[in-house]
Amino acid sequence: MKVKILLFWWHAVAAWTWDAQDETCGICRMAFDGCCPDCKLPGDDCPLIWGACNHAFHLHCILKWVNSQTSQAHCPMCRREWQFKG
Amino acid sequence: MSHPNKRSSSTTTTSSSSSSLTSPPPMKKAKSHSQPDTKNGLHHHTHSDNDDDGRRAQPDNLSRKKAQPPQPGKKQFVIKPFKAKPAVPKNLEEETWEILKSAICAIFLKKPVSCVLEDLYQAVYNLCVHKMGGSLYQRIEKECERHIAAALQSLVGQSPDLVVFLTLVERCWQDLCAQILMIRDIALYLDRTYVKQTPNVRSLWDMGLQLFRKHLSLSSEVEHKIVTGLLRMIEKERLGEAVARTLLNHLSKMFIALGIYSESFEKPFLECSSEFYGTEGVKYMQQSDVPEYLKHVEKRLHEEHERCLLYLDASTRKPLVATAEKQLLERHISAILDKGFTMLMDGNRIEDLQRMYTLFLRVNALESLRQALSSYIRKTGQGMIMDEEKDKDMVSSLLEFKASLDTIWEESFFKNEAFCITIKDAFEYLINLRQNRPAELIAKFLDEKLRAGNKGTSEEELEGTLDKVLVLFRFIQGKDVFEAFYKKDLAKRLLLGKSASIDAEKSMISKLKTECGSQFTNKLEGMFKDIELSKEINESFRQSSQARTKLPSGIELSVHVLTSGYWPTYAPMDVRLPHELNVYQDIFKEFYLSKYSGRRLMWQNSLGHCVLKAEFPKGRKELAVSLFQTVVLMLFNDAEKLSFQDIKDSTSIEDKELRRTLQSLACGKVRVLQKFPKGRDVEDDDSFTFNDTFAAPLYRIKVNAIQMKETVEENTSTTERVFQDRQYQIDAAIVRIMKTRKLLSHTILITELFQQLRFPIKPADLKKRIESLIDREYLERDKNNPQVYNYLA
Ligand SMILES: [Zn+2]
Ligand SMILES: [Zn+2]
Ligand SMILES: [Zn+2]
Repeated sequence: MKVKILLFWWHAVAAWTWDAQDETCGICRMAFDGCCPDCKLPGDDCPLIWGACNHAFHLHCILKWVNSQTSQAHCPMCRREWQFKG
Repeated sequence: MSHPNKRSSSTTTTSSSSSSLTSPPPMKKAKSHSQPDTKNGLHHHTHSDNDDDGRRAQPDNLSRKKAQPPQPGKKQFVIKPFKAKPAVPKNLEEETWEILKSAICAIFLKKPVSCVLEDLYQAVYNLCVHKMGGSLYQRIEKECERHIAAALQSLVGQSPDLVVFLTLVERCWQDLCAQILMIRDIALYLDRTYVKQTPNVRSLWDMGLQLFRKHLSLSSEVEHKIVTGLLRMIEKERLGEAVARTLLNHLSKMFIALGIYSESFEKPFLECSSEFYGTEGVKYMQQSDVPEYLKHVEKRLHEEHERCLLYLDASTRKPLVATAEKQLLERHISAILDKGFTMLMDGNRIEDLQRMYTLFLRVNALESLRQALSSYIRKTGQGMIMDEEKDKDMVSSLLEFKASLDTIWEESFFKNEAFCITIKDAFEYLINLRQNRPAELIAKFLDEKLRAGNKGTSEEELEGTLDKVLVLFRFIQGKDVFEAFYKKDLAKRLLLGKSASIDAEKSMISKLKTECGSQFTNKLEGMFKDIELSKEINESFRQSSQARTKLPSGIELSVHVLTSGYWPTYAPMDVRLPHELNVYQDIFKEFYLSKYSGRRLMWQNSLGHCVLKAEFPKGRKELAVSLFQTVVLMLFNDAEKLSFQDIKDSTSIEDKELRRTLQSLACGKVRVLQKFPKGRDVEDDDSFTFNDTFAAPLYRIKVNAIQMKETVEENTSTTERVFQDRQYQIDAAIVRIMKTRKLLSHTILITELFQQLRFPIKPADLKKRIESLIDREYLERDKNNPQVYNYLA
C-alpha cells in the first residue's frame, strides 16, 4: 500500500503594502511604508489617498495641504487641479 | 523601694507613739523636703537592702524608729519662743556637750546611748537657743572627723583578697552613713537653725560625707584598692565568673554619694574597658568566623547595657557602650566585611546579615556595608553575564539573584532606601556590561514563558514571572535590541498559533507600555490588531462569491494579512507551489485587493503552516507541518523516490532552506521520509522515499518545530537590522537638531545627540554618521572653524 498525503488546512501568511508609484510622500517626505509626521502608526491608521492625477499622498498630509490653500488646491507634484480619485 | 515611701511608712508608725514630744518643735515635714538628693543612695542601704545591718550598726536603745523626729501630721506647727529667755546656767555648754559627745561616741562605737533621746534633743535645743550653735557644730564636726578618720584608717592594710576588702569598705560606708544620720537626727534643730541661717556651712549630713571623702582621699591606698577591686570584679564578670553585683552596686552608689564617681571610678573604668575590648576584638576576630563574632559583639553590647542598669550609674551607659562599639566594631569594619560579607551573602544568611546591619548602623558604618553590597553584586553578577557558556541560564540566574537580594534587602537591611538604589545601580551596571546579548536573552526568556506547552505554570505564576523579567528589562540601555527579538518571537507565536495565552501576551504588552510608553508598543499592538482583522477578512472571504464559485474544494484556507510596518521584515523566500495552491492564493488575493484598493499583497510562504492527513500502511496520522514541508511531501504523492536535486528543481526552495526542511522530515525525531543513504546531514547525492513503516503512538504529530526555532541567519539579520535602524535614527536626529539650530559646534551637537538617543552609542559612531551626512551634503564644516557645522537646506 502506498502512502498518500492530503493537505486539508492551510494557514497562509501575506503582507500588504501601499501600491504607490513613489516610495515617499511628496508632502512630508516620509516613506509610504511609514506614516505621516502626525501619526504614530503606519497602515490603516495613516492611509494613503490618490488624486485624479494618480499621485498618492498620506491622507493627513494632503488634507492639511488642501486646507492651507486659499483658493483651489493643486497637486503638489504635478500642479494639476487637485481632485480626489473617485 | 523609693525613698519617700519608705520614709513615710516608717514615720506613720512613729507618729502615734511619740506624739507627746512637743519640745523641741517637730520639724519632720520640713526635713524630708530639705535634703532629698544627697541621701538617696544612702537611705536605700539603711532602710531597704540592709535592714539587718542597719539595725546592728545602731546602739541598742536607739532604733531607727525612735530616731525619727516627731510626726507633725497635717497640723501646721509654729516655733514659739519661750516667754522669757532663760538665764544661761554656768558651765551649760561644757556639761551639755559632754552629754552629746558621749552619745556621739556611743553611736560611732555601736554602744548603747545612756541618755533618753528627748534629753539629747533638748540638749541641742538648749545650746542653739543660747547662741552656741556655731561652737556645737564645730564640736560635732571635730568629733565626727575623729571617728571617720579612724574608721577609714582601720581599712588600711586590710585583707589582700579584694572581695573581702570591698565587703569591709561596704560595711564601713554603710555604718558611717547610718551613724551620721543618727547624729543628724539628734542635732536636727542645729541643722534647721544654725546651719540654715549661716552661709557656707554644710548640713550635718553633707559634713559627714565631706569628712568621709577627705579621709578617703588622704589614704590613697584605700581608694586605689577600692577602684582596683571594682575593676577586677567587673573584668571577672566579663570573663564569665559570677560576682557579687549587690556589692558592686553599693560601692558604685558610694562613689556617687561622695561625688567622686566620674573622676575616681568612671574614668579608669572606661579606660580599662577600652583596653579589655581592644584586646578581645583583635583576638576574637582571629579566632572566630564573622557570624560568630557579630553574635559575640551583640552579646557584649547587651551585657554592658545591662551592667549600667544593674550596678553602674546610668550616665556611664553611653560612654561605655560607645567604647565597646569602638573597640569591637569600628576598628574591625573593613576586616569584618572582607572576611565575612561574601560568605553571608552567598549563604543567604538573612539573620546574620540583619545583625551585621544593625550593628553597623550603631557605629555609622552603613556606607561601608553599602559599598560591600555594591561590589558583591557586581562581582557575583559578572560571572552570570560574561560567561558565554552560561548564556542559556543568564536570565534565570539573574532573576534568582535579584530575588534573593530583594529578600535580603527587605529582611536584613530594613528596606534601606540607599541600599535599594545600590541594588538597582549594580544591576543596571551588570546588564549593560555586555552589549546586546542580555537584551536578546531577556526577550528569548519571555518567548519561552509565553509559548504554548508551558505546562504546570498557572496564570498567576506567569504574571509574576513577567513582572520579574520586566525589572531586568528596565535596566537595559539598548531596549531596541530587546524589542527586535521580542517582536520576532511574538510574530512567530502569533502566526504559528504557538502562544500559550493571548491574555498573557496582551498583559505583557501593557506592561511594556507602562514601562516605555506607547511609542515602544504601538507596532506590537498593531500586530494584535492585524490578527483580529485577519479573522474578519477570512470570514468574509469564506462567504464571498469568489470563494464560493472559483475555489476548488478540499482545502481550508485561512490567511494572516500583515501590515508590513508592524511586523518584522522577512527576507522573501522562493518556493514553487503546486498548481492547486497557487489557485487558492490567487483567488484570495483577488478578493483582498477588490476589498482594499491601492494595495499590494505579498505571500510570506516561509511563515505558512499546514495540517496534512497522511495514510501510512500502519495507520492514519495528522501532521502539523510548515508550508515548505508540505510542498516537499506532496511531491511524493506522484513519485516513489526522489533525489535531492529532483526536489530542489521541483520546489525551487533555496538550497540551505531545503536541506533544513529535508533534515526535519527524514533525520529528526519524527521521520515521515526515509533518506538514502542514512545520515544526519542532507548531501547532494541523497535520495528520499516515504517512510512506509512510519508509526507513532499519537494521532496528531508535530513536525514543524523547525519553524519556531531561530536560525543563525535570523539571529544575525535581527541584530543587523537593529544596528541599521540605529544609524537611521542617528542620522534623523542629527538632521533634526541641525535643522533647528542651523549652526552648531561639534561638542554641543554630540551632547544633544546623547540626550536624544535612547540606545548606547560611542562618540566615534556619531562622528562617522556626521561625516556621512557631510558627504551626502546635509551638513558642511564651517569654513572658519572646522569644529562647527552648518546645516545645508
Ligand atoms: Zn505625508
Ligand atoms: Zn497620518
Ligand atoms: Zn499629481
